[in-house]
Amino acid sequence: MNLLAFAARRLAGAVVLLVLLSAAVFAATAVLPGDAVSAVAGVDASETQRAEVRAELGLDRPAVQRYADWAAGAVRGDLGRGFVGERPVADVLATRLPNSLLLAGLTLAVTAPLATLLGLWTGLRGGVADRVVSTSAQILAAVPEFVVAALLVAVLAVWLEVLPRVSVIPLGGTPLDVPDALVLPVLTLSAVGLAVATRLLRASVADTAARPYCEAARLNGVRGVRLAVRHILPNAAGPAVQALTLTTGALVGSAVVVENVFDYPGIGRELQLAVAARDVPMVQGIATALVAVMLAVLLLGDVCARLLGAREGHGR
Amino acid sequence: MSRQIDRRSFLRRGAAGAAALAVGPGLLAACSTDEPGSAGNPGPGSSPRSGGTLRAAFVGGGAAETLDFFNGPSALDLVRARAWHGTLGNLDPSGPDGVRYGVLKGIDIADDLSAYTLHVRPGVRFTDGSRLTSADILHSLSALAARSKLPVYRLAAANFDLARAKADGDLKVVLPTLRPIADGRLILCQGNFLVVKDGTKAFRESMPSCGPFRLTGFTAGQGSAFERYDDHYGHVPHLDGLELRSIADSTARAGALTGGAVDFAHDLSPVTARTLADDAKVELAPTKSPYLVGLSFQLNMSAEPFDDPRVREAFKLAVDREAMVKTVFYGNAEIGNDLPSLGFPDYADGIPQRAHDPGRARALLEEAGADGVKVQLTTGPETPGMVEMATLFVEDLKKIGVRASVRELPPGQLYADFPAYSALPLAGSYQMPVPALSTYQMNTAGGSPSAFGWKKSETDALVAQARAERDPERARELGTRAQRTRWDEGNQVVPVFKPNLNAQAKGVDGIPDDLFEQFPGFSRASLA
Repeated sequence: MNLLAFAARRLAGAVVLLVLLSAAVFAATAVLPGDAVSAVAGVDASETQRAEVRAELGLDRPAVQRYADWAAGAVRGDLGRGFVGERPVADVLATRLPNSLLLAGLTLAVTAPLATLLGLWTGLRGGVADRVVSTSAQILAAVPEFVVAALLVAVLAVWLEVLPRVSVIPLGGTPLDVPDALVLPVLTLSAVGLAVATRLLRASVADTAARPYCEAARLNGVRGVRLAVRHILPNAAGPAVQALTLTTGALVGSAVVVENVFDYPGIGRELQLAVAARDVPMVQGIATALVAVMLAVLLLGDVCARLLGAREGHGR
Repeated sequence: MSRQIDRRSFLRRGAAGAAALAVGPGLLAACSTDEPGSAGNPGPGSSPRSGGTLRAAFVGGGAAETLDFFNGPSALDLVRARAWHGTLGNLDPSGPDGVRYGVLKGIDIADDLSAYTLHVRPGVRFTDGSRLTSADILHSLSALAARSKLPVYRLAAANFDLARAKADGDLKVVLPTLRPIADGRLILCQGNFLVVKDGTKAFRESMPSCGPFRLTGFTAGQGSAFERYDDHYGHVPHLDGLELRSIADSTARAGALTGGAVDFAHDLSPVTARTLADDAKVELAPTKSPYLVGLSFQLNMSAEPFDDPRVREAFKLAVDREAMVKTVFYGNAEIGNDLPSLGFPDYADGIPQRAHDPGRARALLEEAGADGVKVQLTTGPETPGMVEMATLFVEDLKKIGVRASVRELPPGQLYADFPAYSALPLAGSYQMPVPALSTYQMNTAGGSPSAFGWKKSETDALVAQARAERDPERARELGTRAQRTRWDEGNQVVPVFKPNLNAQAKGVDGIPDDLFEQFPGFSRASLA
C-alpha cells in the first residue's frame, strides 16, 4: 500500500473516531448532574421560569435530537453559541486555541530534541546513567503537573525572582508580547512531557540497538555518535515519532491544569469554565476541537513514522 | 439572599466569582455625604495624588465574557460595569435616606407606599454630551435590568411593577410598588442598578455612558482598560486610568500583586492571604462588617431528623464557633449567631449569642430520640473555607454522638443541580452580605426551595409587615421578632462570617470610599 492510500485510510479512520468521540463528549455532558438552566436562570427561578429557559436553550428536546442538530451545524462549520454569555463557540476557539497551540508547540520544541538525546544516551549506554535518568523520568512522570508547577514557581518566581509568577498578558495582546510569561508554563509542561517521551524513546533505542544489523555495525567498529546517527536513529525514529505524538495526548490534559495554575489564557481554562457552567455547546465545541487536534497530530505522527519506517535496515 | 444570588457565578467561576452576584442589596459603608463629592475635591483630611493607572485583579468569566453586565455574573463584570456606567445610588447608613444618590437627586415615597418617584439629578451628561433623562432611567431599569436572568436584578422586579413604570417629564420616573414597601430605596440604591442610554440593546466598547471612567479597551476573559471621564457628575476620579484584569486563581492573583503586575487583588483565600502578611510591599485590605460572607449549614426541615426542632437546636449548640474562626480563618473572621446579614441595620443584634454547649446538645438529641443518628453533610469548595468548616462541624457533631460524615463535591458541583441541592438533608453553603429582611423575602419566604423546608406564614407575614412599616422603631421591632423565630426554630447554622480578603500594594488608597466595598469601586481611589 502506498503512502497516500495509507494516509487516506487513516484520515477516514480519524474522521469516524472524531464523530464517535464527539458523541461520547455529548453523552458525558448529558449525564452530568444538573443542566445550564440553573446557570442561566439563577437558582431562585420558579419552575415556570426554569421551564421557559429550558425551552429557550432547547434543553427540552431529546438528547439525540440535540446532538443531531449540533452535528449538522458542526459539519457546516457552525458550532453554535454558548449558553452563558451567548458568544459564538467558534469565536472563543479562535481567541483561545492559538494560545494553547503555542504552548504545546513550544513544549514540543523543547521536549523533542531533549528527549531524543536523553533517549539515545540512556538506551545505548545502559548502566548507572541509564538507571538514574530512567528512574528520575519515572518519578517525574508520576508527579502531578500542579506540583511541578508549584516547585518551579517557588524556585524561579518566588525565590530567584527571575520569572513572573502569573502570565499576565497585555490587554489586546498575545502571549508572544510577554515571552517571559511563557517560560514557566512551558517548563512545567516540558518537565512532564520529557519524562514520558524519554522513557518511550529509551525503550525504542534499546530495542533497535539489540537488532542484528546494529550488532554487525558494532562488530565492524562503528561506535558512539556515528553508530547513533547512522544506524540507531534512522531506525528508532519511526517509533520515536509515535512516542512523541502520544505525549501530545498527555499534553492536552496537562495544559488544562497548567493554564489554570498560571492563569494562561488558553482553551483548557475555557473548557473547565464551560464544564462548570454546564454550557453544553461550549463544552462540545471545545472538546471536539481538542479531539480533532489530537487526531490530526496522531495522524501526522503515523504518516511520519511510516515514512521513516520505510528506512528500516538502511545503513546496514 | 443566600447563595442563590451568587449561583451563576459559582457555576461559571467556582469559588470566588460567587461573590459577584451577591451584589444584591447591600452595601453600607462609612462615608457620610449624601451627594457625590464635588469635582476635583478629594475631601477633607486626605490629599490623594492625582493621576496614574491603577491595575486590579478579579475573578472574571473567560473568553465567553461579554460587556452585558445584566447577564454577566462575575465579580469582574460588576466592577467593570460600575466603573463604566452611572449608578442610581449606593447604600450609605449615614445618608439621610440610608443611601447616597448617584444619577438621582432623591427618591420620594407615596404616603400609601404604592409608588416611588425617582428624581433625576439635572445636568448629568453621557460621554457623547447628551443629557441623562428619565427615559434613560426607565430603559435601564425596565428594558434591561428586568430582562436580566441574574437574580440580583430581579430584586427590583420582585418589588416594583416595572411594566407600569412611567416617565413624568424629563427628570422624574414613577415606579409603582407591587405591594406596599417602605425600604424600596435600599433596593434601588444598592449600587448595582446601573444607568445607560435609552435604546441601548447591545453593549459595545464605543457606546457612550455616564460612569466615572470611559471604557477604552476590552478583551474577553482578560480584562478591560479605562480612562477618567472628566465630566463625570459630582465626583471626578483621581486616577488617570484604570485597568481591570481577570485572574481566576487566588494564588495567581496574589502572585500578580506581589510581582507588581497589579496594584489590587480581590478576594484571596485565607491561606493565600496569610502568605502575604510578611510582604512589605503589600497590605491586606479585608472587607469589614457588614460586607462579610456568612458560612452556613442548612438543615432540611422536610427530612428526618431535622423536622424535630430539638435536633436543630442540638446541631446549633454543638458548633465550636471560636475554633472555626481560629483554625480556618486564622482569627480573621467574626462569630455568627445563626442569622444571616450580620452588621446590617435591620440585623437583630439584640438576640443573645448562641452558646457552645455540647452537653445540652447531647441531652436534646436523646430527648428527641436521635442520639447516634447518621447524617451526611454535603458541601464543596465554592468559597474559601467552606470545606474546612464542614470538616470541623462534623468533628463537633461526633462529639455529641452524631454519626456524621462529609461529602465534598468538586468545584462548581454543589449548586449545579439546584433541585438536588435543595433536597439535601444537610448542606454546607454560604450567605452573601445583604440586609436581613430582603434576604428573607427573597430566599426564605413562601416555602422557597432555598428555604430547606422552612415554611412559616406567620414569619413571612411579620417580615412583610416590617418592610411595609414607615416608623423605623416599629419596623425594627417587627423585624427582630421575625428573626427571633428563625433563631429559635430555624434551620440554619451560621457559625462564622468571613471577610473578602482583598490585598493591595502599599500606597493604594480610597477604594472603600466608593461605598461598594465588597465589590470595590475605583472612583475615589488613588495611587501613592
